[in-house]
Amino acid sequence: MSAPLLKAENLAVRYANGAIALHHVNFSVESPTFMAIIGPNGSGKSTLLKTTLGLMNPLRGNISLLGHDSKRNNSEIRKLVRYVPQRDKIGLNVPMKVRDVVLMGRLVKKQLPRLATKNDEKIAKEAISEVAMDDHWERPFPELSGGQRQRVLVARALAGEGSVLMLDEPLSGTDVESQDLIVEALGRYHRENDVSVIMVTHDLNPIHTLVRDFLMLKNTVVGVGTPCDVMDLELVQKLYGPTAKIVEYSGHRYCLTRDTGVDRHD
Amino acid sequence: MIDIITLILQSPFLQRAIIGALMIAVVASTSGSFLVFRGLSFMTSGVAHAALGGAALGLFLQATGIAPWFDPMIGALVFAVFVALVTGYAGETGIGEKMEVAVGVSFALSMSLAVFLMYYIPPVEVPSIWGYLVGDLLLLNNLDTVMLSGTALLLLITTILFNKEFVYVSVDMEGSTAQGLNARAYHYLMLITSALAIALATKAVGAILVYAILVAPAAASNELLNSVRNVLVSVFIIALASQFAGIALSLTIRASPSAVAGILAALSYVVALQIKKMRDRVHIDEELDELLLQSAAEVTHSRSKSLPHDHGH
Repeated sequence: MSAPLLKAENLAVRYANGAIALHHVNFSVESPTFMAIIGPNGSGKSTLLKTTLGLMNPLRGNISLLGHDSKRNNSEIRKLVRYVPQRDKIGLNVPMKVRDVVLMGRLVKKQLPRLATKNDEKIAKEAISEVAMDDHWERPFPELSGGQRQRVLVARALAGEGSVLMLDEPLSGTDVESQDLIVEALGRYHRENDVSVIMVTHDLNPIHTLVRDFLMLKNTVVGVGTPCDVMDLELVQKLYGPTAKIVEYSGHRYCLTRDTGVDRHD
Repeated sequence: MIDIITLILQSPFLQRAIIGALMIAVVASTSGSFLVFRGLSFMTSGVAHAALGGAALGLFLQATGIAPWFDPMIGALVFAVFVALVTGYAGETGIGEKMEVAVGVSFALSMSLAVFLMYYIPPVEVPSIWGYLVGDLLLLNNLDTVMLSGTALLLLITTILFNKEFVYVSVDMEGSTAQGLNARAYHYLMLITSALAIALATKAVGAILVYAILVAPAAASNELLNSVRNVLVSVFIIALASQFAGIALSLTIRASPSAVAGILAALSYVVALQIKKMRDRVHIDEELDELLLQSAAEVTHSRSKSLPHDHGH
């Protein structure tokens, strides 16, 4: 049997400011899958991704991706992962065009001098059309709207190579059109290719029909399971507080919360 | 034209000034552009003043006989690298604001040290510390020219080799690291080579000119141009043109070439802001016209649809 996509054993991590971000985290998720890490702001979701990538170190315990330990073997992990950070981590002072950003997904994993071949261009163009941004290929990236920039960043991940896509809050601050395009593109890509998707979000509604495994975090694991398992009033209230509700609409269950906004811990 | 060439061939100080201007344009195009991309233009000023602290330390060590071999220039370069390291450390996560604070702190530390040491340096030596802040293109000596050229060329080669990496580190440090790029190494390489070049350029032409020529053309070009390459080329041209204008003017009227170049370079930013404003205005007019046409078309369309319905009543 192949190694699990993500496996955490008694993991604890601190934020840079000293507060405990994650503690006693134990779970395992099989590969390949479409996985969502959900929870309110400040629940340690992004920290879990960053720890997996070796960008933060565990205080206790360990976490591994496809059998590679985050601390000892993060160079292997980084070869496998295509990562989309939170949108506000992207510098907008650099005059990059959309094409440069999408090509970055391929070139960043190449050897020096990282030249773009015709094949790279072709794959990058296919990726940008997946998120319906073809018309913006030559446009300056900093001039795009927030939702458009997010779509370009998703295209950057789609254009790249590596069996795991990791996205940190790709839907936050985007309009419904961009949300739908991103969710559809990721779902299609996951179905048609042998890749796993790990997505951090504080809103599970836009993706819950797509996701196979949910990990509910509130500084520790609140629940792990399929969408049916997690759309449970008790679990959802444990995660988002007593005001959270479950409603049914056209055969699907949705979660209503007051949780909005962007997660960040600088 | 021939007169000018003969004049240049006959005056070594003009030759050094022209080489110096070229090299400073190279530093502006490479280091200046990337510092502006990273929101770190203040580092130019920080490094220049830190170099002053280093030079003071060198003079102190020489004057007191503690380390007679310690040239003030070595001190200036060491302190410049110190600023780059502190800034780099604060910015390992890629957050610009933290780096600005680090520049400010190391700037203050170096300047305080310079002033502190001045009490222990023989008064006759003190003006040579300030010499690190006020230089002039026409006063370059051979050693200045050679050192500045060496560092500028090193910076140029580094930027040609690693321009993509520098762009990636500037735009998405976290994402680049997460995908296997040794972002930290490129981050420090960029800052350290820039700091060395800025320190030497400061010695050659003075802190104010370095700040004006490194920051203003880059900021101006970044307002108007849409690709990294275009910005780099445009910065080189603006920086070189304003320095050549400075040199040319200083030969005809009594004027410091560095001062003229600094004024022209700074003006380029003001001009760029004006052009951008005008361009945006034209853009908005076009957009509004288009929207007006669109909504007019929609109104006609909905009317033609509703007309048969009206007739039915």
